[in-house]
Amino acid sequence: MNQRENFFAMIEGKKPEFIPNIMELYKICVGGADCADQPTMGGIDVFGVNWILTKEGEMPEPNKFLFDDIADWKEYVSFPDVNTLGIEQAAKMELEGVNRDEVIINVYSPTGLFERLAAFMGFENTLCSLVEDPDSCREFFEAFADYKIACMNRFIDAYQPDVITYLDDLATANGLFMSPKVYREVIKPAHQRIVEAVTSRGVIFCQHTCGKCEKIIEDYVEMGAKIWSSAQISNDLEGIMKKYQGQLIVEGGWDSSGPASYIGASTEEVVTETIRCAKQYGKYGNFILFPTLLNENGNSLFVGDSRLGSMIEAWHRVEKLA
Amino acid sequence: MSKITEVKELVEAGKSKKIGAAVQEALDAGGQPAEILQAMVDSMSVVGDKFSAGEIFVPEMLIAAKAMSKGVDVLRPLMTGDNAASLGTCVIGTVAGDLHDIGKNLVSMMIESAGFTMVDLGVDVPAKKFVEAARENDNVTLIACSGLLTTTMPALKEAVATIKASGLSDCKVIVGGAPVTPEFAAEIGADGYAADAGSAAVKAKELVK
Repeated sequence: MNQRENFFAMIEGKKPEFIPNIMELYKICVGGADCADQPTMGGIDVFGVNWILTKEGEMPEPNKFLFDDIADWKEYVSFPDVNTLGIEQAAKMELEGVNRDEVIINVYSPTGLFERLAAFMGFENTLCSLVEDPDSCREFFEAFADYKIACMNRFIDAYQPDVITYLDDLATANGLFMSPKVYREVIKPAHQRIVEAVTSRGVIFCQHTCGKCEKIIEDYVEMGAKIWSSAQISNDLEGIMKKYQGQLIVEGGWDSSGPASYIGASTEEVVTETIRCAKQYGKYGNFILFPTLLNENGNSLFVGDSRLGSMIEAWHRVEKLA
Repeated sequence: MSKITEVKELVEAGKSKKIGAAVQEALDAGGQPAEILQAMVDSMSVVGDKFSAGEIFVPEMLIAAKAMSKGVDVLRPLMTGDNAASLGTCVIGTVAGDLHDIGKNLVSMMIESAGFTMVDLGVDVPAKKFVEAARENDNVTLIACSGLLTTTMPALKEAVATIKASGLSDCKVIVGGAPVTPEFAAEIGADGYAADAGSAAVKAKELVK
């Protein structure tokens, strides 16, 4: 099996021939998101939020908010016309020379419902609003979901992707930002519409949520997500892999807060972590390795790293499915 | 229910719209400002414990801190010169190279709620700025340094080393953030470590007493 065939075997709940590493599995496309969601090189986005480029990626300029009171959101938020975003041109550039028979096309859609509200009004205001004015939050999320769905449809038309990865970080290292009840009552209804918009067109939905979010994994599966990324070890990954075998692929496993992810981690530390992931998670068969390796220039996924060769070699060397 | 008990319950429930009137009623009923303040500090301690135990989440903690802040606004004019409940000043910031502030802001609110006066230096704070702020402000008893990214752990180490080398012997240093462990905190020479905002307030009190 090639990467593509092996991946679809996993999605269908069959035993794969090998356990993939995202670095070899996906063609990750971010051009559409650059137009529609957040500028990958920083700057003002289509909503007027200024993004600051850091080595780990971009983030909204701290303490500069469009509004403070969620009840006022309509005065400050105007949705762009998706026809003008340039998604088609971005797709054309990104897909040039890509062998679709081999790799999986994975289109990233960052700044999900919660993150977008936080980009507009900051985390503290957003979190307070979820419990103090849930009605206005719900109204905002529904309106923003309409925009997201329009973008998802354009992504699907332009990229013909296999997977769309929707990114919304709802958790800290210790647990969810908000209670599962608040997530379910205030965010989930609009979230569900986004998932359905993607899956109804035959595209695989990958939910990205960092941190300890295991309390709502059931919700993700129930809505139709087939992959959960970037699954961090603060969650019970093995328990989740066992419970959702045949239903959900866990993409992650790397100890992103551990020694292998520190600046200056040795090649040996990186290899040791790779082997741990292979031995601990590979046997379940519904796992994709998502290594997080950082160096002085940023995330190795985007800037490269001299340790990657050894890491990939170690990954191939270890028997994983046995 | 006594008026002070009512104030405590309103803080715990995060009722910031009602707290001002309740504090005023407690004062009108003969409550002393320091007593009312202490009741609110106690409430926030309960909130911090509940957060650390996973019984409540960030929004509930935030609205409680907001309610306490509104209550303190009513008391402040009556408490000038009364340092009975003060644990000193805490200088706080996210270390150089890191722009994240949610964790730092939460910790700041909880430490303030425990009875400290806060000096928030914001994000991307160079090591020497912590020292300057500690020298420029009165009665600084605590410096709190936050870092979210593994890439800024060296900056956290540098901040602690710079503070320790500065001769600020009366200040304790507490560190925290997603990649920080108790072992790392000890290794870089910090006096304290906390895993979350609730326990940061408990640790802060412990360090300065």
